[in-house]
Amino acid sequence: MSEDSLQGGDLPLAGCRVLEHSRTVAAAYAGRLLGAMGATVVMLEPPDGSPLRTAPPLVNGTDHSALFAYLSPGKRSLVCDPRTSNGQRVLERELASTDILIDDTPVLEREACNLDPNVIAESFPALVHVSVLPFGASGPKANWDGEEVNLLHAGGEGFLLPNGLANELFPYRPPLKIYGHFGQYQGGSMAAFAALAAWWAVPQVGGQYVDVSVQDAVLAVGAFGLQRLGDGSLEHRSTRRFRYGGVFEAQGGFVELLTLEDRQWAALIELLGRPAWTQDEALHDPLERSRRGDEINRHIREWMSRHNVDDIVQWAQRLGVPAAKYRTPDEVIHGAHERSRGLFAPLTLDGGVQAQVLVAPFQFRCSELNAGGRVPALGESQ
Amino acid sequence: MKLTSAPLSGVRIADFTIHAAGPFCTQLLAQLGAECIKIESKTRPDAFRKPHAVYGRMTAATFDQVSVNKLSVRLNLKQPEAVLLAKRLVSVSDVAAESFRAGVMKRLGLGFEDLRATKPDVILLSLSSCGQSGPDAHFAGYAPLFGAWGGLGWMTGYPDGPPVEMRHVMDHSAGIHAAVATMGALHQRRRTGKAQHIDLAAREVASAMIGDALVQASRGFTPVRPGNRHLTMAPHGVYPTQQLDRWLTLAIRNDAEWQALIRELDQPMASSDPRFATADARLRHHDELDVLLTKCLSTRNADVTAERLQRAGVCAHVSWSMLDIARDPHLRARGTTTEVSAPGIPRRLAIGAPARFSKARDVGIRRLTPKLGEDEDYVFGELLGLSSAQRADLERREVIL
Repeated sequence: MSEDSLQGGDLPLAGCRVLEHSRTVAAAYAGRLLGAMGATVVMLEPPDGSPLRTAPPLVNGTDHSALFAYLSPGKRSLVCDPRTSNGQRVLERELASTDILIDDTPVLEREACNLDPNVIAESFPALVHVSVLPFGASGPKANWDGEEVNLLHAGGEGFLLPNGLANELFPYRPPLKIYGHFGQYQGGSMAAFAALAAWWAVPQVGGQYVDVSVQDAVLAVGAFGLQRLGDGSLEHRSTRRFRYGGVFEAQGGFVELLTLEDRQWAALIELLGRPAWTQDEALHDPLERSRRGDEINRHIREWMSRHNVDDIVQWAQRLGVPAAKYRTPDEVIHGAHERSRGLFAPLTLDGGVQAQVLVAPFQFRCSELNAGGRVPALGESQ
Repeated sequence: MKLTSAPLSGVRIADFTIHAAGPFCTQLLAQLGAECIKIESKTRPDAFRKPHAVYGRMTAATFDQVSVNKLSVRLNLKQPEAVLLAKRLVSVSDVAAESFRAGVMKRLGLGFEDLRATKPDVILLSLSSCGQSGPDAHFAGYAPLFGAWGGLGWMTGYPDGPPVEMRHVMDHSAGIHAAVATMGALHQRRRTGKAQHIDLAAREVASAMIGDALVQASRGFTPVRPGNRHLTMAPHGVYPTQQLDRWLTLAIRNDAEWQALIRELDQPMASSDPRFATADARLRHHDELDVLLTKCLSTRNADVTAERLQRAGVCAHVSWSMLDIARDPHLRARGTTTEVSAPGIPRRLAIGAPARFSKARDVGIRRLTPKLGEDEDYVFGELLGLSSAQRADLERREVIL
């Protein structure tokens, strides 16, 4: 039995070997998800290291990238510049034992890197070769480049943000991106999904090449906007808001409140202490409530401003009103719920610095996933 | 089941999911070829079959993206006989997927152990707001709440403003991650023959979107909300142009791209301005940079400028509305957007194949939103072997409802 199968004995992807040639968050996140499920993930890094090793934000007081620390635990690092003949030998040696290649080399650079999909398919017919690029590898804009802020807007979601309270307060400011690398994470998870689907089909059709685009993935998760367009409405951040509910400022923080069902509305009335305005018969009708959303929100806003955020969410959830506190990263990492579920695990950064890292955004109740570990040093698996 | 060249052809899903996140996941699997059987009832139809007033939709949807390719059957799960039929359906499927609040499937008699007793290698995907365990497991929630609990809502916003509400992208992001995990479980079962219960908490997907900030927080540091700014790139942001509400997004990664930007924007003075000479200097003077760019872009056409900058190697893109997306030849050429129509559904655009596979032409939309119970001849008749008389009797007794 190989070392890999011993290590990953009971893991969902035990025995799966992934080669990750990445410079973008999307490709690195695809490898990260596959690694968490037990795949052996080998990163090919240029001699001076992946650009993600120095990507912001940094861990406070160190020169370690918090982003790389999140994306790389448990991966192996191999220095390989596929443009050189030595690098090409390393690449071919690795590909010979690889099930899934995740690559984000721009189309125009592929030939120089010996990463042309047709050439690779000839030499490695059982390989699943997944390309993940900002605008994909085919189509008139395949050679366009984009960072997160460009891609979130190219996929349609950027134009629609912020919605709700932030837009009401600052209607004339430019649209706002989601924190961090949301679009890249969608591209990465789509790449991981497509990779595993193509790997599933290997016994029937052999390996194949898969073209994933971050823009496509952002649009896929924003599909509802296109559906609304088909229904005849063009969404805009100033009008894309819940008729009532949303973000409210309470004492000590912000609350998200959303009642979609009649029983939740009834529970909200209880939460508010049955004030006189809620006794209006007409408000029994959900369509009427939507029409009078602004009026309802004014009342809720006034009530929220007089109460403590933690009290509100506690009462609300007890009564069956969907409400949540806008929690800070500090509250998340120390959250009782997260602790109880083992969402975080110890992580050792280069130089022995200790931190905590999110294990995975899913759990397998019959298998413990790979958790935490170490950020690999450059070239340590040479 | 009709087999195709799509990668997941031959995989069958018994789909109990409702609303957005779970159905998005099974829709992805179905676009890649899985046969997905949606289980509803007249008394508990999925959200798209009803008005969605809080969202401003006053009637049922005629087309629903997250139900494409799905087959539909009716089962009234309040009846024990319907639960038995649901179990039979699970036993001829590869995956069962559900998105009820934690504990509901168990109360129905369809919990993981119940299903495993029927099908020893069952894969159950449970997608919920807070997961199957932990003190908050019973909390109900929707996308904006996932974002709030998970920290993504807090980290998103203008630095001097309130946190921002996450919308359907949050649901659907949970759905993609659920699809990844489902594929992981399928591979595990193929290798080991083992059952698996996937527990996906949508709020944990929201936390995964701020994984870097959580590493920082674990060291006692309070991460800052950056708005549209970036910690190493400048300029970086969203800028107004000549056209009203037509914004240009820009991300400048290095000095060469900075020089290309000011060359394309005809700003020779900026080229030698020491305030903008290096990335560090540009970061320190980001406010002045934004003033300069806002002024010079205010006389320029957003679309022409984006194309010109891309040709010069600069990351630029117009902030696109869905109308821009609907008209885009690139997305059409890739099959990302695709035209659909059916009786009662006038021609419109939908989201097609989520990725392009070199050996599969059958990836994408094969059929549109199913009518409630449309596929019972195949599912109840062919798959479960029920006779017409049996089915009529079950309908009469409201087991099939």
